[in-house]
Amino acid sequence: MKEKSRIQTVINWLGPFLGLILVMVIFSSIPEVRDRFLRVPNLKSVATQSVIVALGAMGMTLIIISGGIDLSAASNIALSSVITAFAINAGFPPLLAIFLGVITGGLIGLANGSLITSLRLVPFIVTLGMLGIARGIAKWTAGNQKIDAPLTWVNELMAKSPRPSWLLMAPGVWMMIIFAVVMAVVLRYSVFGRHIFAIGSNEATARLCGIRIKRTKIIVYSLAGLFCGLGGVMEFSRLTVGDPTVAVGLELDIIAAVVIGGGSLSGGSGSILGSMIGVFIMSFLRNGCTMMGWPNYIQEIIIGAIIVVAVALDQIRHRKNF
Amino acid sequence: MKIKAQGIIILFLFFTLAFFSCSSKEKGLSSQESRLEIAVIPKGTTHEFWKSIHAGAARASKELGVKVLWKGPQKEDDRAQQITVVEDFISRGVDGIVLAPLDDRALWRPVRDAVQENIPVVIIDSALQGDDFVSFVATDNYKGGELAAGKIGELLQGKGNIFLIRYQVGSASTTKREKGFLDVIQREYPKISLLVQDQHAGSTTETAYQLAENLLNRFPDVNGIFCPNESSTFGTLRALQEAGLAGKVIFIGFDSSPKLVQGLRDGHIHGLVLQDPVKMGYLGVRQLVLHLQGEKIDKRIDTGVCLITRENMDDPEMKSLLMPDLT
Amino acid sequence: MEGVSKRFGATCALDNVDLELQKGEVHALLGENGAGKSTLVKILSGAVRPDSGTIFLEGYPFSPSSPLDSRKHGISMIYQELNLAPHLTVEENIMLGREMHRGGFIRQKEMRNKVRKALELIRHTEISPDLQVKKLSVGARQVVEIARALVEEAKILVLDEPTSSLSQEDSEILFQIIKRLKTQGVSIIYISHFLEEVQKVADRLTVLRDGKKIHSGNTIEVSLEDLIQMMVGRKLVDMFPKIPHETGDVVLCLDGLKGKRMQAEVDLSLRHGEILGLAGLIGAGRTETLRTIFGLDAVEKGSLTVRKIRTSKGAPWTRIRQGMGFLSEDRQNEGLASSLSTVDNLTLSNFSPYRSFGFLRLKKRRKAVRDYIKQVNIKVQDSNQPVFSLSGGNQQKVALARLLHQKADIFLLDEPTRGIDVISKSQIYEWMGQLASNGKAIVFVSSYLPELLGICDKIAVFYRGRLVDMRPTCEWDAQSIMTAATLGRPG
Repeated sequence: MKEKSRIQTVINWLGPFLGLILVMVIFSSIPEVRDRFLRVPNLKSVATQSVIVALGAMGMTLIIISGGIDLSAASNIALSSVITAFAINAGFPPLLAIFLGVITGGLIGLANGSLITSLRLVPFIVTLGMLGIARGIAKWTAGNQKIDAPLTWVNELMAKSPRPSWLLMAPGVWMMIIFAVVMAVVLRYSVFGRHIFAIGSNEATARLCGIRIKRTKIIVYSLAGLFCGLGGVMEFSRLTVGDPTVAVGLELDIIAAVVIGGGSLSGGSGSILGSMIGVFIMSFLRNGCTMMGWPNYIQEIIIGAIIVVAVALDQIRHRKNF
Repeated sequence: MKIKAQGIIILFLFFTLAFFSCSSKEKGLSSQESRLEIAVIPKGTTHEFWKSIHAGAARASKELGVKVLWKGPQKEDDRAQQITVVEDFISRGVDGIVLAPLDDRALWRPVRDAVQENIPVVIIDSALQGDDFVSFVATDNYKGGELAAGKIGELLQGKGNIFLIRYQVGSASTTKREKGFLDVIQREYPKISLLVQDQHAGSTTETAYQLAENLLNRFPDVNGIFCPNESSTFGTLRALQEAGLAGKVIFIGFDSSPKLVQGLRDGHIHGLVLQDPVKMGYLGVRQLVLHLQGEKIDKRIDTGVCLITRENMDDPEMKSLLMPDLT
Repeated sequence: MEGVSKRFGATCALDNVDLELQKGEVHALLGENGAGKSTLVKILSGAVRPDSGTIFLEGYPFSPSSPLDSRKHGISMIYQELNLAPHLTVEENIMLGREMHRGGFIRQKEMRNKVRKALELIRHTEISPDLQVKKLSVGARQVVEIARALVEEAKILVLDEPTSSLSQEDSEILFQIIKRLKTQGVSIIYISHFLEEVQKVADRLTVLRDGKKIHSGNTIEVSLEDLIQMMVGRKLVDMFPKIPHETGDVVLCLDGLKGKRMQAEVDLSLRHGEILGLAGLIGAGRTETLRTIFGLDAVEKGSLTVRKIRTSKGAPWTRIRQGMGFLSEDRQNEGLASSLSTVDNLTLSNFSPYRSFGFLRLKKRRKAVRDYIKQVNIKVQDSNQPVFSLSGGNQQKVALARLLHQKADIFLLDEPTRGIDVISKSQIYEWMGQLASNGKAIVFVSSYLPELLGICDKIAVFYRGRLVDMRPTCEWDAQSIMTAATLGRPG
């Protein structure tokens, strides 16, 4: 029994890794791209491409563990990127612009959290509404067109070859790594993290144990909003323009990453490490498929199948426990 | 139950592996020949226009003996994803890239990255800022807009109410067409008034259809409409047909597709401004190959525009533009 | 029904029970919670199969294979909770699952006729078949349920606590219907805790206790007192360890308190070192009172005084700070977060000892939890295992240990011994006694009279939302509690 549960833990841990390893092994064994796939510049560009989804996924992981969902993540990213571009265009110092972008994301998250807790609406509905609202505000702010902001150091955050060169990777990638570590620690070792798990596992119990559910949820959604805001800044940095139509449908990628990484949509389970692996599985797949020059539908089919397989594995893991 | 489910998953993984390895073998053979590899990156893959570009590129690939990798952004018209595609092809180390940039600014840095890696880039269809690319092969879009305006002015005899339905925010080529159109209307036909000139149809037929439907409900007395690309033209055509206004409103569109050709034949469309996407795709790849072979090439190549109407649509020359041979 | 028995694991739910139901009679089935009434009825309806015994329907042996089967044979059940689809119309509800159709298309007219006939039978033609059920009153919904049972030409109708959610007038309407059905030759099995009701409507009655038939006979032949005696009359086994404890100052005082879901205002006071039992039938308002005290339900009226400080408004987290701990009656859905570990569940209400700068000191926590596991005697292999892998008794101990770990002084325990084995039960009693001797105050809700009488200092009895009477335990006996709980007057 004990032996079994140990194997179980190993499988639980390795599960998502296996997927990533499988994807990497497959692509690095295809002769056509073999010598290119695992090269440092390619790894760097995959890492850079993952930053935005990864930042979104960190917030989404918290939300999904707490038993909620955030459909407005992608719109929020677009809005924050537009706000950042708008601020830079208006002549604000870049740091202030970044701050405004991140805060915008946080405010959208705060609005989500407050509406969900005060009106007692289902997160799906509230954030579905916010998906439209944030996108609309983004288009409105941008005057229904993209904003061409002057180039500043903000645009270096996501440059593949960073200045100064001792950074090795884009500052955005470093931020992603640091935040992932911080969030993983917070989720696992902090009181706040335990509270999130408790709420997602059984909200009634959490209430009974004196956990301040409303407050915790509002913090969770706001935090996720802040991450989306940062994601928006990164999106702006990458595009060099503030584009209100960017990242349409990206929320589904973010949710998929969390789910591939072991997050359960019924709440109570999930991890930052898993979600990050989910993000990288999808990035590597996309990268590999593009390098092969395969048409988009192949990669869409594969990613779709991977989501189903990942969730099926998750189910089996849970079923085994009974 | 457990075993069954696990079995299914293992089977699935097995099949993906098999799929990958099969396809890799196939491609592995061809990669042994030392052909030039050229990535052609369109703005999207579903529009007729891009299929024509693809056909042109494929023709060039056959004639010149180069390998063409055709890949658009996963989501149509997503700038961020087009950047990703460019980066991935840089990673692959292709010999050259033919790119139709979704944004004249956002794609500038990836193109510069490519050039730094010694991968030359030819820009097609829409302009890009900077001058890192080796050549720009495109329609004179401004002229296309002027042609459309001239036709509308002529058909309306210089007076009436018209819509300009714009395509999408930040799309350089269509913006130029819109500008060319506006300039001529304002300069030469002062009695034509624009009821709508700042509404964007969005990237799909569906969004264009909805917009046109709403506009027609609001201004049923419109006399003329101009749309600057295929999806907006088709969406608006559908809305006109639904509203029973098709043929009554002077309607000039841009680009072609079988449905639009039918519309032209039925008299629902009074004119289509045509580019030559096949030529554009073909020339894009050819220019790049010439550059790679060390020849000097022109920085700007115009692939031409012409206006097609019901009267001249059956001329052989026009016919090949209307219904390009996509094989 | 003859010699019907049913065992569930180690417990014998029904032991050789006979029941005779005559045509056109109302037969009441009485007994405490868990006496075996519902099992008996479930066997009749085909939801549960008996281990032994036979059912004869109109002289022929009958063994229903499923609820559908028994419905086809004219046996219809109406449960305590109404089973109607609120968005469908009256007609759709009545005909649900037996729509008349030709090639998949509904035969409107014939269905309408049938529904009319059923409503006529119970003389409630004023209910329009086209009305959505959610727009009807609770009483009218009950009528619809009965009509639904009747379209099938029911021979036997089983009513399980039909009046528990009805008002006085609605109950009267129901009794009228029952009378009419009787004259139509329908036999009715009537389950109720409200003895006066039973005396009013039932022709005959059967009393069950601990799965055995105690009595069967005409209603008029037995007095209320005898009935109660028969229902509770068991000897109290000495599984209640007496631990001496002294009562101190008042620690909790309810002053006309009424919560959102309580039906009436309640006055109550609790002292240090006191175990106060709350008795009453299910749905009498005991759970609601506890939930209001703990801040789970909003307070509408009145006030709450904890250690001489009035705090009428409060959420669970403020109550926990005031030293309260609440044990939910619904362990699965509320009491425990079943996918979390024992450690998490045990410490969830009080992280403060292990908290430093917002982070948890996991090792220290594990060590502390190990002590509690030993103290409360929880059988668990690995404290990181999710709690759903534990047995019911051990799960309950985890929930109780949480209150200990939380260092609560006021324990609000809602049915702490429900559904757990006898040994765990007696451990819990012992432990409550020890708490009281340490000066803690305990409110103990239970539907099991022997345990209330065995360990409480005082017992308060609820009847339909209001507190009937509160007296020291020595002034109560099983009979008087039952009288108060079923009749609503001090016995």
